[in-house]
Amino acid sequence: MSGIPMNRRRFLQLSALANAGLMVWGSHPLLAQGSSALPPPPPPGPIDLKAAGGMDSLIAAARKEGELSTTALPDDWANYKGIKRVFFKEKYPFLKHNDLTPDASSAEEIEQIKANAGNKGPQNPDVIDVGFVWGARAKAENLLQPYKVATWDTIPTAIKDPDGFWYGDYYGTMSFEVNADAVPFVPQDWQDLLDPRLKGMIAINDPTASSQSTHLVWASSLGNGGTLAQPEKGLAFFKELAKKGNLVATSYSPASLVSGELPISLRWDYNALANRDNNMGKAKIQVVYPKSGTLAGVYLQAISAYAPRPHAARLWMEFLYSDEGQLLWLEGYAKPVRFNDMLKRGVIPKALLDRLPAADVKVEFPTLEQVQTGLQYIRDNWVKEVGITYKS
Amino acid sequence: MALATPSQSVPPRRNFSWLHSPSWDWLGLVPFLTFIAVFLLFPGLVIVQRSLFDSEGRLTWQYWQSLSQAAITLAYTNSLQVSVITAVSGGLIGSMLTWAITLGGLPAGIRSAVLSFAGVAANFSGIPLVFAFVALLGRIGLLNQWLRPLGVALDPQVFLYGFWGLCIVYTYFQIPLTVLVLVPAFQGLRREWREAAENLGATSTQFWLYVGLPVLMPSLLGAFALLFVNALSTYATAVALLGGVGQVFAVTVVVANQFRTDTFGDPGLGYALAASMILVIGATIAVYMVSRRWAEQWRR
Repeated sequence: MSGIPMNRRRFLQLSALANAGLMVWGSHPLLAQGSSALPPPPPPGPIDLKAAGGMDSLIAAARKEGELSTTALPDDWANYKGIKRVFFKEKYPFLKHNDLTPDASSAEEIEQIKANAGNKGPQNPDVIDVGFVWGARAKAENLLQPYKVATWDTIPTAIKDPDGFWYGDYYGTMSFEVNADAVPFVPQDWQDLLDPRLKGMIAINDPTASSQSTHLVWASSLGNGGTLAQPEKGLAFFKELAKKGNLVATSYSPASLVSGELPISLRWDYNALANRDNNMGKAKIQVVYPKSGTLAGVYLQAISAYAPRPHAARLWMEFLYSDEGQLLWLEGYAKPVRFNDMLKRGVIPKALLDRLPAADVKVEFPTLEQVQTGLQYIRDNWVKEVGITYKS
Repeated sequence: MALATPSQSVPPRRNFSWLHSPSWDWLGLVPFLTFIAVFLLFPGLVIVQRSLFDSEGRLTWQYWQSLSQAAITLAYTNSLQVSVITAVSGGLIGSMLTWAITLGGLPAGIRSAVLSFAGVAANFSGIPLVFAFVALLGRIGLLNQWLRPLGVALDPQVFLYGFWGLCIVYTYFQIPLTVLVLVPAFQGLRREWREAAENLGATSTQFWLYVGLPVLMPSLLGAFALLFVNALSTYATAVALLGGVGQVFAVTVVVANQFRTDTFGDPGLGYALAASMILVIGATIAVYMVSRRWAEQWRR
């Protein structure tokens, strides 16, 4: 504050006044923000199917609620189109589906819970599907309620909250999505992406906004013999890609990959494979797992603490974690978390198994702690390290 | 009663004086002011308030202080540069076009065609606009396909995906906006003034210098301010063209990234940045009003 020609006493008076004014302002309920402003959530319901009185009484209770609000479930992501159809049209047609903001981000899902806390309307999401880092955080903010599905014990311990507040749902493996018709050669490993013949051909989404893209930058740190503990290696790799002009300063779109304008991207294999299937005959899309290793990324499901339709929400979870629901994800190439259990019991149809590409490379599964530090590091430094390379 | 007779022949005047009392005149303002309060002032106040308090409700300057980090100042510098460049480019080209279709005496058909086009193109933005430019200037775009036989290739990373791409694409909607804003002003430049100046022996240059520009100046300044703010606040086009890298070139993309994210946002920074944009826009309006007053001095 030095250099301001103002008498110190006067300044203190003024700032005290200003602070007092701001305090009053800040305490106004309409203007206040943060979890302190949220109404207390209703008490949590039954913790599992047994406490809920079995499947029949859960279905009866859900039928009474009559609807379910989901959010951020895109039709073209992990076969959600099929999952929504089977659940709402075939199995439980008495449930009206409020398909809120299919393209919302995880942060927006959390904001929706906060903004609608206490609201009983259809715009209040009952269930969420968010990036892995959001589970613990939303639990700490009291935005979730616990529930343990009937198949709870077969969900790997590392990717579920022990108290049942959130649970991993499916995972993907980071892969190269390449329009083979439009490239001089199909890159097979991280270093291939630096080839000068691929100048102007690689486009990804914003690593500070999309969890998928933060993961892809992180995955590239495995390319030079680095580890997941070294996200800085991933950033250095992308800085190099940007400097060479191979990484284009724009975002990925399925259309530009298919047209050949930007024929290379990096995405979860389930998204890349779905795009391949959708454009069969239009473009020869190849999905490549980089030879020197890649990583897997998990999303998770949770029920909102403020869910106005908690029984329908629990029914949705029971469906997603049943063999039937898990196989629907697998149809969309997303590996469901109970994959190994189902494989052991031989309930995965052979045709479905044969469709899956062989990921014959080393795939690393980061821990929650690694995900938090790795993604935070990339988010904090992406613009400083890579974005700035595009300075005019 | 003799006195009563004449007054009966005149129909009684109805008294509307209550309608003319000043308190009723204000009634017309109420819906508009309510609208402004609910959709402009209140959200604006919430933005400022949230930029000053952390999630626990304590007063803090940390979000405003974090605006000084290099990435933010770079975004601001680039954003302001793009806004000035496209306000000048769009303003110049748009003024010339406006001149041509109003005072220039082009056929009426061209004039109405340009005006209809301007009405549509001024609102053309976001993904469709970027798609059109990618189809034209992209790596495998039309222009490059035409130029290929000549052995020439335009590098889209210079002309499309970056700072200059942003300038080119913004200019596309800045030109028609200029036309829409300036046509009434140019039409107000009366033919008689020109004739009077010529009769008094003024050259064309002298007419423009001493009559045309002074009359148009307030409108030109207004158009420039509008174009500047229009470019500064553009989000959809910037993010559609540059994706995440847009946050190096457009402050709006940085703001959005604090809220639209799967990983870690910093809403406090987002609110502070949004509030700082309100300040910049307010400052632009202030500069505009001062310069307008200066430009209108001759009228007094």
